[in-house]
Amino acid sequence: MHLEAILQTLRETFPAETIEAQALPIDETFIALPPDCVHLAVQVLIERNDLGHLSTITGQDTGSEIELLYHFWDGRGLTLKTSLPREGVHITTITDLISGASYYEREVSEMLGVTFDGHPDPRPLLLPDDWDGEAPLRHQPLPPSPPELGGTEGGRRGAGGEGR
Amino acid sequence: MTRITIPIGPQHPALKEPLSFLLTAEGERIVDSVLRLGYVHRGLERICQQRSYVQNVHVVERVCGICSHVHTTVYCQGVEALLGLQVPPRALYLRTLMCELERIHSHLLWLGVLAEHIGFTTIFMYAWRDREIALDIMEELSGGRVAHAANVIGGVRIDVDEAQMDSILVRLDDLERQIETFLGVIQHERSFQARTRGVGHLSADQVRRYCVVGPVARASGVDVDLRRDAPYAAYDRVNFRVITAQAGDVWACTVVRTLEIVESLHICRQLLAELPAGPLTVRAPRRVPPGEVVSRGEAPRGELIYYIRSDGSDRPARVKIRTPTLTTLLILPDQLRGVHTADMPAVLAGVDLCIACADR
Repeated sequence: MHLEAILQTLRETFPAETIEAQALPIDETFIALPPDCVHLAVQVLIERNDLGHLSTITGQDTGSEIELLYHFWDGRGLTLKTSLPREGVHITTITDLISGASYYEREVSEMLGVTFDGHPDPRPLLLPDDWDGEAPLRHQPLPPSPPELGGTEGGRRGAGGEGR
Repeated sequence: MTRITIPIGPQHPALKEPLSFLLTAEGERIVDSVLRLGYVHRGLERICQQRSYVQNVHVVERVCGICSHVHTTVYCQGVEALLGLQVPPRALYLRTLMCELERIHSHLLWLGVLAEHIGFTTIFMYAWRDREIALDIMEELSGGRVAHAANVIGGVRIDVDEAQMDSILVRLDDLERQIETFLGVIQHERSFQARTRGVGHLSADQVRRYCVVGPVARASGVDVDLRRDAPYAAYDRVNFRVITAQAGDVWACTVVRTLEIVESLHICRQLLAELPAGPLTVRAPRRVPPGEVVSRGEAPRGELIYYIRSDGSDRPARVKIRTPTLTTLLILPDQLRGVHTADMPAVLAGVDLCIACADR
């Protein structure tokens, strides 16, 4: 993988954007892009720079926004990074370009509440079908500690509710 | 022809871990399958955010019950990179030694499972007997057969002395003789070939499109191995061959994995012969400076990747784990299409699924 060639491709495709490479330890490079550029960026990088292997997609809630990291690998690591607002999170799927992205997008979707527009199979991946709680990896107060085992009768009823 | 839908799992004799399939069969041929994961989802990524970096070494070791050591290796090397630590060479060699012993025991376990699924119980018994050699060595070095707790941030907790080294080398030779027997069976036994050749075929193009990794990719002729392509730990100091095959079927997977055991034995011998003297750890601070890191390693099933983000505290702000099995699960419906229903267990065994890894 030639980083200069990749940067050139991206700068030619998105002349209005500032495209900078950020070097990370263990031979990894991060490039930040606006969310509406990601699909086109992946497409041109596959066509012109032979960027084929998607290792995974990381989603994270930084507290102020939702960040998506597309980790590619081709002899060296390359991560495309994009930030989305925390409410009404939408981004275009890349499964039409890389079939292998399907599970990664489904996982990010259920864990952070991100909608991938155009995903062919947007079912939950790991969570139960009837999960109606909050997206588990969103920032939230830590859950209360579970009740101590072997407590009093009243304590158990208080923790488990009536009728258990 | 009438189509029949057959539910397989989450509990089923052909599955060692919970996974659910809805197979659609036309006569005896599988025409479609729908997968459902998540039965052993433990929320480990979230748990990692609630524990300190040191505690998380023990959390990530429990992602997988087979390749536990490579998880701590990849996690620790990520945290060490964030801390800017130089791990002592002796620690890197011992880390690599454990990684390769783990690969040997994982591949032998897999060979046993495949043999059992195709009704070849003799090989199942022998493979699992010989796997004990690797497990015994790992137990002697670390105190644990499966959870070794060998890695700490900044080095390793285990050491090997001269007497142990001699004893390990003798047992590695014993193991190599057994592997040659298995190779003979795989390459010449007709009943073995009849059940595995041409079954569960994957082309190199499918492998690339679905971003499949590890021995399954190598069995389809895709020459990738992070031990060679992005050397970590002490892999840049040993010589080994990356095994590939072209057929892309269960038989090719068997050949690739069995030959990889031989390569792993060579790597173990080189590591023991050239083991440098020196300290086993460097001191690591509890708090990690803010930053991000992507850490990769070649687990027995292929590329393992960790993303770790630090906000400057003693707990990671995010730990993302992608295990190799997740890539092979995605392609399973394609791989099962057109397969005889009786060959389904062979295909499932062939890709070496680890559901606990995939679900985390």
